[in-house]
Amino acid sequence: MSEETDQKPEPDALQRAEEHARLLTLELAAVNQELDSLCYAVSHDLRAPLRAVDGFAHIVAEEHSAQLDEEGRRMFDLIQREILRMNHLMDGLLIFSRLGRQKMEMAQIDMHALAQSVFDEWAARSPERNLHLDLHPLPPAIGDLPMMRQVWRYLIDNAIKFTQGRNPAEIEIGTRIGEGGELIYFIKDNGVGFDMRFAGKLFGIFQRFHDEGEFHGVAAIGLGLALVQRIIHRHGGRVWAESEVNAGATFFFTLPQPLP
Amino acid sequence: MNHSPQILLVEDNPNDAELSIRALRKNNFSQALTHVKDGQEALDFLFGVGAYADRDAKVLPKVVLLDLKLPKVNGIEVLRQIRANPATKLLPVVVLTSSREDCDLVDAYNLGVNSYIVKPVDYEKFTDAVTQLGIYWTLLNEIPMEK
Repeated sequence: MSEETDQKPEPDALQRAEEHARLLTLELAAVNQELDSLCYAVSHDLRAPLRAVDGFAHIVAEEHSAQLDEEGRRMFDLIQREILRMNHLMDGLLIFSRLGRQKMEMAQIDMHALAQSVFDEWAARSPERNLHLDLHPLPPAIGDLPMMRQVWRYLIDNAIKFTQGRNPAEIEIGTRIGEGGELIYFIKDNGVGFDMRFAGKLFGIFQRFHDEGEFHGVAAIGLGLALVQRIIHRHGGRVWAESEVNAGATFFFTLPQPLP
Repeated sequence: MNHSPQILLVEDNPNDAELSIRALRKNNFSQALTHVKDGQEALDFLFGVGAYADRDAKVLPKVVLLDLKLPKVNGIEVLRQIRANPATKLLPVVVLTSSREDCDLVDAYNLGVNSYIVKPVDYEKFTDAVTQLGIYWTLLNEIPMEK
């Protein structure tokens, strides 16, 4: 075979690969858009029947309470509680779907000040806890500020929640350099941790690893880490976690490096 | 009766309508309420045409509680036509909807909606919201007397 025929397939293959990649990107964008509109429709259209269930259950309890015994009232309370939970789940879906559609405004972010202020904000909500933060200097990052604030909120909230009962609760935030020289942010706690067998599920939507207990909001429905992952992915970074049961957990994330 | 209502409720969901009407009845507002089930019926009622041709269209409700997702003519279009018609352009319209989406809010406010309420799922909050709307728009609020 001549040199010519040897080389010829190469640009073709490259072109085909590029075309393939372009199509995949388009397909991915379409699927994402469909997913977002599905989330939107589901969380809106499911609210109406839920409102009806809650409303008529209330009317039964209010206007026909004479016919209800204690067991009947207990059942009614269960109905109420589950309606509330479903409502939270739908709120979560909406937040999640909005996050996918929200425009990002990239700017330089002072990660050190951001992590500190988010920690202070959360710590102020739990004055009864003995929370100790070890914050190493964090270099700045390029990202969307409101979204990065959410990332720190969910991660720090997580650390505070899962160190319940630890005195003091130790939370360490810092960076390390990964294999390829990339910067990795981490947040480490001395809390209950989780079984690494479930590490793959950790960032799934509505995954919970502990009893609901007194957790509220997105944590109660297992959405916080899914939101963290979605934000980090939208920034082109990665997020993962390491832990051992009862030996604390460490969450890591990367962001594309700021330009020099 | 019912031809000069205080409140025009535009709501296609029978459950939401029943819950709203119950909430208003509890506070003695239901006498003065008319319920229509789609956007076209709302416009026919307000403009005194179609099935409402015998209605005196000069008599307007004190407020329209308007759902957005409606059969035939959607809520935003109903609002647009209300604002486009000289007879109804000042009529107080309150959007009462499940949608918290920015685009719906912006459209409604661009068309001069007087208030925008997201229906709470929680029954007590829902009843509370509807009752407050009834009190505010039929008792407290003043509108210009246009002839």
